[in-house]
Amino acid sequence: MFSKILNWINDRWPLNAVIRWSLEEEMPGGTSYAYVFGSCVLLIFLLQVITGLWQLLYFVPTVDRGYTSLNYLRTEIAFGWLIHGLHYWGASAMIILVGLHILQVYVWGAYKNPRQLTWLIGVGNLLLTLSLGFTGPVLPWDERGFWEAEVAVSSAGTIPILGTLARNLLQGSPILGQLTLSRFFFLHVGILPGILILFVLLHIVAFRKSGISGPWNETKRKRIGSFWPDQVFKDATVMTFIFVVLVGLAAYWRAPFAGPLDILQTFYIPKPEWYFLFFYQTLKAFHGVLEPIGTIGIPLIVTLLFVLLPFYDPGPERNPGRRPVAMTCFFIFIAWVLTMAVLGFYSKPAATVAGTQTVTTAATQTVPSSPLEPSSQTPSAAKPGSQLLNSLGCMACHRVDGKGGAIGPEFAAALLKGKSREWLITQIRNPKAHFPNSIMPAFSSLTDEQVNDVIDFLLNIAQSEKASPASITKATPPRTGSAVTPAGAAPSAAVVTGRQGPPGPASFVIGNVDLGEYLFKQNCEQCHGPQGKDKVTNPGSTDGTVPPLNPIDPTLFNKNAQAFVNNIDPYIQHGSIPAGPNPVLRMLAFGDTQSLTQQMITNVEAYVLQLNGVDRAQLSDPGLQPHLFFWLVVLAGFAILVGGAGIRLARGRRENPKGTKPL
Amino acid sequence: MTETQLIEHEGSSRRSMLKFLIGAFGGLVALALGIPLIGTIIGSSFRLNKPQWAKVGDITSLAIDQPANLKFPFKTEDAYLRETTIHDVWVVKHSSSEITVFSPICPHLGCHYDWHADGSEFICPCHGSVYSMTGKVLGGPAPRPLDTLAWKLEGNVLAVEWETFKVGIRQKIRT
Repeated sequence: MFSKILNWINDRWPLNAVIRWSLEEEMPGGTSYAYVFGSCVLLIFLLQVITGLWQLLYFVPTVDRGYTSLNYLRTEIAFGWLIHGLHYWGASAMIILVGLHILQVYVWGAYKNPRQLTWLIGVGNLLLTLSLGFTGPVLPWDERGFWEAEVAVSSAGTIPILGTLARNLLQGSPILGQLTLSRFFFLHVGILPGILILFVLLHIVAFRKSGISGPWNETKRKRIGSFWPDQVFKDATVMTFIFVVLVGLAAYWRAPFAGPLDILQTFYIPKPEWYFLFFYQTLKAFHGVLEPIGTIGIPLIVTLLFVLLPFYDPGPERNPGRRPVAMTCFFIFIAWVLTMAVLGFYSKPAATVAGTQTVTTAATQTVPSSPLEPSSQTPSAAKPGSQLLNSLGCMACHRVDGKGGAIGPEFAAALLKGKSREWLITQIRNPKAHFPNSIMPAFSSLTDEQVNDVIDFLLNIAQSEKASPASITKATPPRTGSAVTPAGAAPSAAVVTGRQGPPGPASFVIGNVDLGEYLFKQNCEQCHGPQGKDKVTNPGSTDGTVPPLNPIDPTLFNKNAQAFVNNIDPYIQHGSIPAGPNPVLRMLAFGDTQSLTQQMITNVEAYVLQLNGVDRAQLSDPGLQPHLFFWLVVLAGFAILVGGAGIRLARGRRENPKGTKPL
Repeated sequence: MTETQLIEHEGSSRRSMLKFLIGAFGGLVALALGIPLIGTIIGSSFRLNKPQWAKVGDITSLAIDQPANLKFPFKTEDAYLRETTIHDVWVVKHSSSEITVFSPICPHLGCHYDWHADGSEFICPCHGSVYSMTGKVLGGPAPRPLDTLAWKLEGNVLAVEWETFKVGIRQKIRT
């Protein structure tokens, strides 16, 4: 029945001929594990095509939804972690394997006559692979993708003469934005894979025409191996191994969650993918007018050296031992790439090296676009200001009449003397304008009226305290004082009140833990202690201390990451006032005051969850648990190995029934 | 003449006509599709950013000769997305009427640099370009000094002309 179907097809389409063409090949010098790289690249490429297509079921290439849609696939869709993980690690594997493949061809001298065209197409494949590796990471448009696009587009702009054209075409619009992302998507998902598929086919046809080059030693070449099934078995063994490794990486070593894009996070240090680190590091050596030499000159020269190799090195000698110049160049090239990659990996920006990293206020500071009208209110009408001072959380850091936090200076006459209303407006709206290193949040979302109320209150203090400057000394730094815990008050009674509200937009996005840690140190550590561990005293509160975050209050904890975030996000967004007669420290409304952007809050939340042993990016629907899936694949891979060995042995026995060793 | 010969004979001029038409049809389709395809790729690539004046805020209280990072809302148009985003500029006040406004974009490759007060330097975290308070290049790969922006004072309120420049080249050319 089966052979009838095959015959029917063969009468109409040359199936057998195509199979014979692709499998029947004599291999001079026999089969070898040194020849597996090409087949492995092919496997990974197919894997990339499939996993790439599958991601399109969920991923949308937009500046505002790219990152969240990808994360939806990664954490909330069955096997999404695997699809994305295979694609992410597959990209690295493909670049490594293409690299090994091309290096092997170089060492073997396999680019020489008659295989020049195979080499040329192969160099094309290398460039296409690198282009894919370059356009792919941009697509989520997250903290990493955006900066990579920025540097890429800017680099293109440095090309002499054609720079503007290249930059504009790549950017697609006057600003780096949605149209740029659409272009990277168009290239990564449409154009580049399309050309690569064509080039791979051309490469295979060219390879089939001349076959493998085999060993350079003539006597060794007399031994003939066959592609099917001997070489295919070796290919399949290594392919299976690579596939299992990729599944293992996807299961145990997830791709990072870079965090949503926030241009104002200037403390983020963009670095390219590992496979471009050597170039990134090399680029740093070219300053000023020499810049285009780095951005364009070196890539162009290296590409030309690769492309033209069979033409400036046409000699028939293939033995590497007799090609000293070629081999010296080879080792210099490898040494350059490896050295630069390692240097690039460990390099830090100049600021950190010099030890001059400044404290950045993690604040979105919006200066009002219209000047504030001086308030007509008299100092006696300063009551709203005093309420605002409490509700905004100013008292968490500043003291009035000895009450309040010790992080900022006390609001006393000595401090406020001589300060104009305008100075105070700027100080509230944009503290960094006065003190570049200030950690005070910018209260940019207050209305002009609110700001004026606060200032009326402050100016009132300045006047009233002129009579009694001694009140400054009343200040008692609360952090050094002992905990004021009313007797009998159980910690669980610490009902926290404050302005209530729903979780903000930040709660639905997966943040970056490292950025969160940095932001935590800048904004949260003063009251919650390093890593949220210290019990910082809070006089006047029922608990006597600021609620610890590590471990966090059990009523807020939840093993489910989204539920956990929903519990803590309202506090970060809207602030809170601890229970007690007159708590000195209050939680600031970081979201409502816009002193942290939603992206920053997202990152902080990821960090707080991690402190409590909960992964913000936990899988809510893994399909199969990653480690279980991995071990199932290991088992299956082992079964395939055994099966492959069986076929090989059976064939050997059939051809050599007397048991002589097959050639 | 046999019938076959007749057809071939007749065909010599007819066939060359057909070949010409095939080529012409192919050329027509290639041009009619190819030019629009290229046109669509170019799309809005070469539209220029229109410089826009934006109010940054009151600068009365800025300390003299101390760079301050001022942020302000700016209406951006990104193709079909229109939103208000936060932009920032670095402002150095020399006197009550003399200031310098720097674009926050590093002229090397477009990252955002930061002020490091202890060394009195602007440092870009991406590739380590270092600038003085006057914008002069002190180190790193930057090809030109920091870009200044046009400004004016309306009373005490600073307004700047927000525009971007090509990065990575020696000349300051608007994008």
